[in-house]
Amino acid sequence: MQQTDYIIELAGHKKEDLSVCLGCRICASVCTVNDLEINANPQELLMNLFLGLNVDKDDPLVRFCTNCYRCTSACPWQIRIPDIVRGLRENLSTGSVFEHAIIESINIWGRMYEPYVFLRASLFVLKDGWARHMFRMMEYVINIVRSIHVPHKVKRI
Amino acid sequence: MDYSYYPGCSLKGSASSLDRDVRKIFNLLGHNLLEIPDWNCCGALEYGGKELTNLSRENIRKIEDGPCEIIAPCPACYKNLKDANKDFNFKTNFTVLHPLELFDKELLASLKVKHDLKGMLFTPYYGCVLLRPEETAIKNKYIMEEIITFFSGEIDGEKVRDKCCGASRLFASKMVTEKLSKLLLEQSKGIIVVFCPMCHMAMKMFSKKRKVIYLTDLLLYVMGEKKFL
Ligand code: SF4
Ligand code: SF4
Repeated sequence: MQQTDYIIELAGHKKEDLSVCLGCRICASVCTVNDLEINANPQELLMNLFLGLNVDKDDPLVRFCTNCYRCTSACPWQIRIPDIVRGLRENLSTGSVFEHAIIESINIWGRMYEPYVFLRASLFVLKDGWARHMFRMMEYVINIVRSIHVPHKVKRI
Repeated sequence: MDYSYYPGCSLKGSASSLDRDVRKIFNLLGHNLLEIPDWNCCGALEYGGKELTNLSRENIRKIEDGPCEIIAPCPACYKNLKDANKDFNFKTNFTVLHPLELFDKELLASLKVKHDLKGMLFTPYYGCVLLRPEETAIKNKYIMEEIITFFSGEIDGEKVRDKCCGASRLFASKMVTEKLSKLLLEQSKGIIVVFCPMCHMAMKMFSKKRKVIYLTDLLLYVMGEKKFL
């Protein structure tokens, strides 16, 4: 069940803030998702939320929004659409194994502990065709190994 | 001068070279970076809304008696700290700064140049978070171009400098990052210069033979601390 008010609040907005949307669709004209040749319309997503209609997991923005804030900077009201999408993703639990591992790590240690995240998500990484990128990933693996440390237990906020 | 320093999670792992080089540059400029004690992850782009600013608020609170100018090299950490600083009333007035905001013509002129960048072509790539949204963006949105041309390097990639490489979806939907990064690579020439650890990873992953470097690599090369780019 979608909780529109909760999602909008998570983004630091109030429902009234969305009512200022002019329907100009400037956001849609600059949206990065269009570069993927996928039609995306942030204005429609806002309108559906405002009307209390369900936005589901298959919405192109829920699936592909990159948090680029191009829409926000072009919008006459600077509406932070990616923050709303992030709230939606959390509400619809759409995170990948990797994203869950990051959040788990923060919950346990207060920080993202990369060795844990990579181990936890290793199957996902292999399945998603990452193996062929391994050579180019080596620089990052070496950085992780060079800076290896026991997880720094920070009190969870 | 003393600064509070928020490295963030990536700079303690996969981007530890960036952490090392930022510290080195500050050291060469005669500044001290004092790491915020027991800092938490800022939530990067994974946590939603409220919790996100709460995490950064607590990080700022942990500074207590430390310097009130905070340096955060990772663009996501920088944005989250800046948002939190704006949203909460702290007893002290803090300023959140990105290392790029320290550079101006005067500072560049004061650097001892060992190698210039003559005959080299670069695409300065800012990605999203350093430039958007406006309230948290860096002050001078052309600073990387200014640094490169100051040392006689040539610039390309005006079309892609502020486009999105899709790095935030790298571990959720690789197809998105692959397509977007490849578009940027096709539309630009020369060495890609970034400051964001995620952009670095996304571009590098799909760049084949194109070089992707941090701006800190370029600065250390100019100052003679690195032999090659
Ligand atoms: S932040 Fe999301 S909705 Fe906004 S322009 Fe970027 S991809 Fe589109
Ligand atoms: S640009 Fe802003 S005002 Fe215009 S349709 Fe998009 S969200 Fe609404």
